[in-house]
Amino acid sequence: MARYFFDSGDPNHVFEDEIGIECAGLEEARRAGLDGLKDLTKDTLKDFDGQQLFVEVRNENGDKLLRLSLSLKVTAMDDRLNERL
Amino acid sequence: MSSTSTSEVLIRKLQRISSLRESDLAVLRGISIHEKEFQANQDLVLEGDRPSHSFVLVDGLVGSTKYTGDGKRQITSFFVTGDIPDLHGLHLSAMDCTFSTLTPSRVGFMRHDTLRSICEQHPRIAAAFWRSTLVDAAIYREWVTNVGRREAFTRTAHILCELIYRLRAVGRIDDHIADIPITQAALGDALGLSTVHVNRTLQELRRKGLIATSGGQVQAKNWPNLVRAGDFDTTYLHHRNPEAAL
Repeated sequence: MARYFFDSGDPNHVFEDEIGIECAGLEEARRAGLDGLKDLTKDTLKDFDGQQLFVEVRNENGDKLLRLSLSLKVTAMDDRLNERL
Repeated sequence: MSSTSTSEVLIRKLQRISSLRESDLAVLRGISIHEKEFQANQDLVLEGDRPSHSFVLVDGLVGSTKYTGDGKRQITSFFVTGDIPDLHGLHLSAMDCTFSTLTPSRVGFMRHDTLRSICEQHPRIAAAFWRSTLVDAAIYREWVTNVGRREAFTRTAHILCELIYRLRAVGRIDDHIADIPITQAALGDALGLSTVHVNRTLQELRRKGLIATSGGQVQAKNWPNLVRAGDFDTTYLHHRNPEAAL
C-alpha cells in the first residue's frame, strides 16, 4: 500500500489534496481518481460550454502520475439556436 | 462495566425519547444482558440472520449496512451508546441488513423472549421500544434525503452534525470540539461518496473554519456555522429535551 494524493478542480482553481488515500497500486489509484471525477462532475459541472474538470494523481514524493479530465461541450442542433448560445 | 450500568445506558436512552415510571425502570433493570466486546469492523448481526436476541450498544459506534449485488457497501445509519439497532428483529424475524462495529464497541445482548414478555406486561415499556424503532426510522428517512438530494458539502456537514449531536446527547463528547471516531472509508460509505470526494469535501469544510482534520480524525470547530452548512435540524431525532443536548 502507498499513499496517493488526488488534486482536483478546473483550469482556474486547483484544489490540492492534503489527506490522500492508501491504495494498493496505480490501478486502484486510477479507479479512485475516476470515482472522484464522477462525484466532482455531479457537484460542480455548470451549464457552460467548454468547462473542464480534472483529477490529478500524485505520489508521496509529489510526482504526478495520472491526469483524468473531461470537458463539457454544448452544441445546439438548430442553427438559429446556435446564434443565441 | 457491570450489567447494572448497561441497564442504565438502556434506561437513559429510553428516557431521552419517552416517559417511563420508576416501576418501569425496575423492570428494565431486571433484564438479563449478556455483554460482549468487539473490535472495529466486526459484524454483529448479518443480513438473513434470524436472531434470538436484540442488542443495546453500550459503548462505541455501530453502522447498519447494506451491500449491492456487486459488493458496494452503503452505511444506512449510525448507532451510538444506548441505541438498540436491531430491536425491529423482535417482530421481523429475518434481518434485512447487517450491523457492524465501526469502532471498538461493547454490546449487550437481550433475549427476545424476555423482551416480548416484558412488552406484554408493561405497555409503557412496549411504547418506549416502539418509539425507539420509530426514531430509528426517522433517522433512516433523513439519511435517504441526505444521500439522495444534498450536495456533497452540505451532506458531509449534516452527517458530522448528527454524529456530534448524538454523541453529545449520550455524554460521549464533552463539547463540540471533539474527535469523531470514524474512518475515511466508513464516512464515504455513509455519504455515498468516493473517498477522493470525501477528502475534498472535508478539506473544503476545514478551509471554511468549520472543522479541523488530522489523519482520519475530524473535529468540529464552529458548531453554529457547521449546523447552517449542514442544513441540520434536530427535529428528526425526537429527543424529548433537545436543548439539553445543544
